[in-house]
Amino acid sequence: MAGTFAFKAGSTAVPMISDVAFAELLNDPYPTFKRARDMAPIVRIEAAKIMVATRYDDIVAMERDPETFSSENPQSLVNKVMGHTMMRKDGEAHQRERRAIDPSLRPGAVKSCWGPKLEAVFEDIVARFERDGEADLFQALAAPMAGRALAEVLGFQDVDWQTMAFWSQSLIDGAGNYSGDPEISRKAVEAARGVEDAIDRALPYHRANPNTSVLSSMIHAEDPHEIDQIYANIKVAVGGGLNEPRDSILTLILGLLQNPDQLERVKANPNLWPVAFEEAVRWTSPIGMYPRRVTRDIVFSGVQLRAGDQVGLCVGAANRDGSRFEDPDRFDVFREKKSHLAFGAGAHFCAGTWVSRHMVGRLVVPRLFERLPNLRLKDPDAVRIQGWVFRGPVTLPVVWGA
Amino acid sequence: MPKITFALPDGKERTCSANEGLSLMEVALQNALPGIIAECNGSAACATCHVIVEDALAAMLDPISEHENDMLEFTAAARQPGSRLSCQIRVDDRLDGAIVRIPAEA
Ligand code: FES
Repeated sequence: MAGTFAFKAGSTAVPMISDVAFAELLNDPYPTFKRARDMAPIVRIEAAKIMVATRYDDIVAMERDPETFSSENPQSLVNKVMGHTMMRKDGEAHQRERRAIDPSLRPGAVKSCWGPKLEAVFEDIVARFERDGEADLFQALAAPMAGRALAEVLGFQDVDWQTMAFWSQSLIDGAGNYSGDPEISRKAVEAARGVEDAIDRALPYHRANPNTSVLSSMIHAEDPHEIDQIYANIKVAVGGGLNEPRDSILTLILGLLQNPDQLERVKANPNLWPVAFEEAVRWTSPIGMYPRRVTRDIVFSGVQLRAGDQVGLCVGAANRDGSRFEDPDRFDVFREKKSHLAFGAGAHFCAGTWVSRHMVGRLVVPRLFERLPNLRLKDPDAVRIQGWVFRGPVTLPVVWGA
Repeated sequence: MPKITFALPDGKERTCSANEGLSLMEVALQNALPGIIAECNGSAACATCHVIVEDALAAMLDPISEHENDMLEFTAAARQPGSRLSCQIRVDDRLDGAIVRIPAEA
């Protein structure tokens, strides 16, 4: 797509979308994403006060050039709220920390360790509501499953899912608190303290008993984490590791319940579950956007960018790029198989990919459909999906039984 | 500059000059070869840069790390005896003339 839009070199003309209200973006960002994609490689969305890239090929190109499109941003609120996390480092500095945690998250660990543990968590959660005949799967299933799984994988033995959920939301809100709301700041500080205390409580056990958890990997790595790195990286994992499995559980269930013919075909051929999961996160990507900082003046895809510019990489938009995915707004397990950007791309490719593929696509959703006969939406009009930076169903009322 | 021949998923072959020090994955991307997606850009985290090397070459390369070994269980096309992640193989002159196969997806 390079060269399609020949802005004059030296021009800072990035076109703008200024007639979309923030609430619209939260309710349904896809029409705006489509407009932006059709308009130019980089577009400023006024309501969100950010420039975004929305085309698939452009985002891949940016992710392959971390020297120009850097994850580092000393000014970022994430750094203020969480410390200097690996999510905001590049190159060797990022890799060193990433390597330390990888043993906890690689496919082998998922198979031998997390698979059985998460299965036990799932059984416990389902047993609490399966006789009720109806439930909101957000509260009954997805939120507790994601919170307990994350506590388990990180190595917190004494933190309940409600606390995990509070920490996660407070840290996310704090990292997006551009208006400096004091109540949001206060909660973020409280959550950060809570995480640090939980780490301090957990570390003696993990020191004495090396195991598969992330905390254990951090301290027993060949190149172990310092305590500040532990604090920062566990905070980023708490902030960034809970919404995504929660939302993708609900999105996958929703996509299938809205498309009963596809559901029947998947149930008839369980090999299709992993494919259905990939389609769900392409269709409604739990992380819709993440930022990169431009490090030098550059004409990218014909658009003049300046050193210091922030660009939001809208993977939620790229995953509905019509030049790559036919009929992109449709949930279709049987579409032509193509890679998507729901887990990001490049060195920051989601560390939790393999845990989530297993937990959501092989365990939680397939088992749920097995356990609850005739699962269906209680009221198709009551389903609400929200968010543009993070996106997923915020309520999913269902019924089952005869 | 070493020349490496890629046997493509559709049965065709492409011979590419490869800069030493690049990974095989990077060479494949530079030449826009089909079948190498490389979602994680070489971090050995995505398993979408799967290739199959011949025995002679396999014996010459650095051994497969535990991590790569794990990841190879999750390639789109089933793992075979010569399976490797192309992002984990650096080009040097020993690779001159090598034939590397990019498998068709299952
Ligand atoms: S590029 Fe991702 S594993 Fe090789």
